[in-house]
Amino acid sequence: MKLTATNGARGKRRTQNGRGSWPDRFLEKLLPSRAAREIEIAEAHIRDGRFQRSLSLLAGASSVLAGAEVAYEHYRGSYGQRIMYTPVALGGAMTIAGIWGAFSKRAARTVLRWTSAVTLLDGLIGFCFHLRGIQRKPGGWRLPLVNIIMGPPIFAPLLFGVSAYLGLIASFLRREESPPIGLRAPKGLVLALTSAEIAAHHPWTVGLREGRFQKHLALATMVGTFCSGAEALYSHYKNNFRYLAQWTPIIIAPLLMGAAAAAICNKKAARTWLPAMSALAIIDGGVGFFYHARGVLRRPGGMKKPLYNLIYGPPVFAPLLFAACGTVGLLASLMRRER
Amino acid sequence: MKTPIGGEFEEAHDHEHHLGAMQRLDAPMRRFADDDEVDYLVVGVGAAGGVLLQRLARAGFRVVGLEAGPFWDTEKDWVSDEKGSHQLYWEDMRITGGENPLTFGANNSGKGVGGGSVHWAAFTPRFHPSDFEVYTRDGVGVDWPISYWDLKPYYELLELEMPVAGPAWYPWGDPHGYAYGPHPMGGVGDALIRGCTKLGIGVSAGGPVAILSGSRNDRPHCIYRGFCIQGCKVGAKASTLITHVPDAVRNGAEVRPRSMASRIQLGKENRVTGVSYFDREGREHFQKAKAVIVCGYAIETPRLLMNSACDEYPDGLANSSGTLGRYLMAQAGTVVLGRFDELVRMYKAPPAHALTEEFYETDPKRDFARGFAIQTVGPLPIAFAKQMMVARGSWGWGMRRVMMDYNHWCAFGVLGEILPWPDNRVTLSDERDQFGIRIPHIHFSLHENDKKLIKFAQGKTEEVMHAAGAKETLNEARFAHLVGAARMGKDPATSVVDLFGRTHDIANLFICDGSILPTQGSANPGLTIQALAARTADYLISQGATVFNSDKRDLTPPPVRPHLSPPGTHGKGVPRFG
Amino acid sequence: MLPNERFNANRERLPIDPRTDLPLKPRAQPGYYPGFSTLSQQSFWDATTREVVRKRVHEIPPFRFFKAEESRLLQIICEHIMPQDDRDAEHRIPIFPFIDERLHAGRTPGYRFENMPPDGEAYRLGLQAIAQISQKAHGKNFIELDWRKQDELLKSIHDAEPLPGAEEIWSRMPVERFWGLLVQDCVEMYYAHPFAWDEIGFGGPAYPRAYMRLERGEPEPWEVEEKRYEWKAPPACVSDPAEPDIAAHKEHPPAGQGGTH
Repeated sequence: MKLTATNGARGKRRTQNGRGSWPDRFLEKLLPSRAAREIEIAEAHIRDGRFQRSLSLLAGASSVLAGAEVAYEHYRGSYGQRIMYTPVALGGAMTIAGIWGAFSKRAARTVLRWTSAVTLLDGLIGFCFHLRGIQRKPGGWRLPLVNIIMGPPIFAPLLFGVSAYLGLIASFLRREESPPIGLRAPKGLVLALTSAEIAAHHPWTVGLREGRFQKHLALATMVGTFCSGAEALYSHYKNNFRYLAQWTPIIIAPLLMGAAAAAICNKKAARTWLPAMSALAIIDGGVGFFYHARGVLRRPGGMKKPLYNLIYGPPVFAPLLFAACGTVGLLASLMRRER
Repeated sequence: MKTPIGGEFEEAHDHEHHLGAMQRLDAPMRRFADDDEVDYLVVGVGAAGGVLLQRLARAGFRVVGLEAGPFWDTEKDWVSDEKGSHQLYWEDMRITGGENPLTFGANNSGKGVGGGSVHWAAFTPRFHPSDFEVYTRDGVGVDWPISYWDLKPYYELLELEMPVAGPAWYPWGDPHGYAYGPHPMGGVGDALIRGCTKLGIGVSAGGPVAILSGSRNDRPHCIYRGFCIQGCKVGAKASTLITHVPDAVRNGAEVRPRSMASRIQLGKENRVTGVSYFDREGREHFQKAKAVIVCGYAIETPRLLMNSACDEYPDGLANSSGTLGRYLMAQAGTVVLGRFDELVRMYKAPPAHALTEEFYETDPKRDFARGFAIQTVGPLPIAFAKQMMVARGSWGWGMRRVMMDYNHWCAFGVLGEILPWPDNRVTLSDERDQFGIRIPHIHFSLHENDKKLIKFAQGKTEEVMHAAGAKETLNEARFAHLVGAARMGKDPATSVVDLFGRTHDIANLFICDGSILPTQGSANPGLTIQALAARTADYLISQGATVFNSDKRDLTPPPVRPHLSPPGTHGKGVPRFG
Repeated sequence: MLPNERFNANRERLPIDPRTDLPLKPRAQPGYYPGFSTLSQQSFWDATTREVVRKRVHEIPPFRFFKAEESRLLQIICEHIMPQDDRDAEHRIPIFPFIDERLHAGRTPGYRFENMPPDGEAYRLGLQAIAQISQKAHGKNFIELDWRKQDELLKSIHDAEPLPGAEEIWSRMPVERFWGLLVQDCVEMYYAHPFAWDEIGFGGPAYPRAYMRLERGEPEPWEVEEKRYEWKAPPACVSDPAEPDIAAHKEHPPAGQGGTH
């Protein structure tokens, strides 16, 4: 997580929450005090839902990767249908919207929100097209194994939706410079509304705005990890598991999914297992990225065939998507739970 | 899994006509009566005939295509099996001789709708600009009556219609890119790329090859099964059977299968009146036509014209020059085989998927004119065993031993330019076929330049194979493709047809297939043959009824008509460079 | 013959295990891919292909083209060209019946060399030549010669330097063309059979299901890894030299005839 604390002076640490969880203690020991303080500020922002700028930027940045990956993956499929251009265009649009949203509150609430929504929808439509693509291969769904592996990557469109999902969430958050929840308004006003009333007026946006969507984000972690893990499973299976390391995402994915599931039911798990497994996934994604990049270079022709080997070598960005799922998990662990 | 979900794959019981895994022939076919004088009668519905039929039908002409073989149903007629695919090849008897006799059948001759494009490996490089002026540049062979730039728009068009998958940037000849992305590599392609890059030789990965790399319309993309030259049941590899003929039928063309043309009839005023042919029961018919286009490829075209000899043309129809049947060319197709310590399994992935044209052009440092390409090939077990018989002298236990190592071998094919020589020719033998038609006799010998080229190319290919990691190499001399024997040219005294394929002798008789190529370059001829057909079609459409009622010979180039492409051609794929 | 007797009678014709110098017992599936079975995958093939392969395995064509005498001779010759003594009786691949069937049906590869008679006649002439050579060299019928003598006689034809006795026939038909015809037919029949595919690790028919592991020779989930073993050719054979054996045709190597590109 790279969240810069632009408003460090005002980011007052709320000590009553999360103080006891072990990642905090671990980080405190490990990091110099300056960095630890910045992290504390970032945590506070997340806890309060005051990280619209950062999340917009993150959504924008991850859209670059997702857009690049879908661009070359669809090039493999020769853009045989025009709709295959949409995720590439939307990847670009998401990047712009994310950056814009980081600078402008208005853009974050309008451009980013709607771009993200359209991109999410595109991911769902893409998912349907990919299902259809598999069905249209010789043997169709009667040969699920071969046709899922050799057909359009079934879960890729859903994974493509991850950055759009982050963008959508960002659009509902508050900005880093907004006052912490406690300082936002006279106490009486907040107390005047019961949680039921808040829920009645703003069923979920208020929760989001206040950083109360831990369960929700844990669920997203589960779904994302499932898709990413499944992709790793069948593409590593296609590769006949030539390296032992290829098993790691297959093992970590269910662990992370389990941790996320536990986090939905249990607050404690959300503060312990979820960040631990998320960190594991992030590290694994990083290592995988290295191996995949190395795999590309080791292909026949290596750097003399950069584009070709990028297209047909191990997918370099795929491990980063797996890491992104871990990141979402980590984010979830820092949130407050829904009312 | 022991079976597919729902048990073993069933027979195609339906009454549909399958053209690949998804496509169906969706329109009833028009039928013309023999005495109904059609506009164009196309003899041979192969690579060129299929394109011509489609274009002419779309333009509104009344056209019939006579095809000696069947109108394939890819599900019911074709098999995913090497020995079971002989029906795809022209296996009627031909006599072959000369110092380096050519072989036919599976090697280069197709039968049935789609012709050779049904069993080609589908490499589709363009010819280089230099190929059109070989004589001017190198003092050998002959110049074409057209230039590369005349044909370029048709290359671009056909590359979309088939379509051709290949790299975004192809550096040789007139550099260009492909609108459809390259294919993944199999073991053979990996070896070629490894060998070439190690030696600093440029190499193209994943094409150009007329196999779908992404599904398009009602054709799925390649499934990498390696049975390209046994006919693509998937419908991913382009053949006119699935790319152009369905649209021709939809637009009112008739394809008359199992109809063996025996004679083109010359009428009054030096004009042809139609074609005699034998139907599947061996009955003879005569189809009337206002004009005839012969698309029988380099052996059957001269054979048919020679068998149509008459008082006016005693040496064969349209053969006043004596050139018909001469200047037959095949390309040097020496296969270099390399044994690797590790497994290759070359039966996977299409045989055609990587090549280099680094040695294509004449190099003054070499002692011969013109050049060659190196391409991937992927012989299946029977073809490989036959190669081992030639290349290693294998038989008995030696054959068993080397075949047990089949999965360790890898094969590259040389594709070298052999120059046109007048003594390499097709004539008629005295023997007759099942219809009583005289069969062809082919004489083929290599000349000095050809031999030097082959020797050099073989050495270079072995070098690449070793650089790729092979511990042992062998080579098998052979030939690939057939072109020439009714060449086009400006001078009626030294060529058979003009630059649009119209015979110099007879104004309503055309030839359009590989036989009109004056020289052949080191590129597989399939794309060029189809591009020439599209160009001839545009010309015929521009000429309109003049062809039917006058001997006027207008050589104005026609406009390119992209709107005559089969539906679903344009607006797909990526923008193309170059 | 009891299995053991048969084994002993054919000892000279069995490949040798170099570690023990003993003959390798005939088995169901020689080759380096134990347990690999293409036929076990046939439900993944399309129905048309399945039927063609099924017929090839189960419907052996009757003998119609060759006369009885010729049949006996050609059958023995086929056993030299594609020896199968390492296969048990149930797993031998019929070759002769399919050659007979091809000639009976008059199927050709689509060409004939100008100095060759039609294929059927070429076979008859070739068999006659072998019979004559055998008489002249050994004073016996070919089928009565011991196995090694037979192999050596065929080797002389392979080398295009046939033992004397049939000069008149070779003047009408080039010996290397006859050899090419014979060997090509034999390998075509042998390597068209699923048992041969299992032996060499070839995947067999591949539609609608094809491959997903295209590179590095990786096996599909239904294929098996290679397990090599050493073997020496049988003592009674001369057909497995260590080096390529094409000296005889070096000047004019015959062109290959399969379609590859």
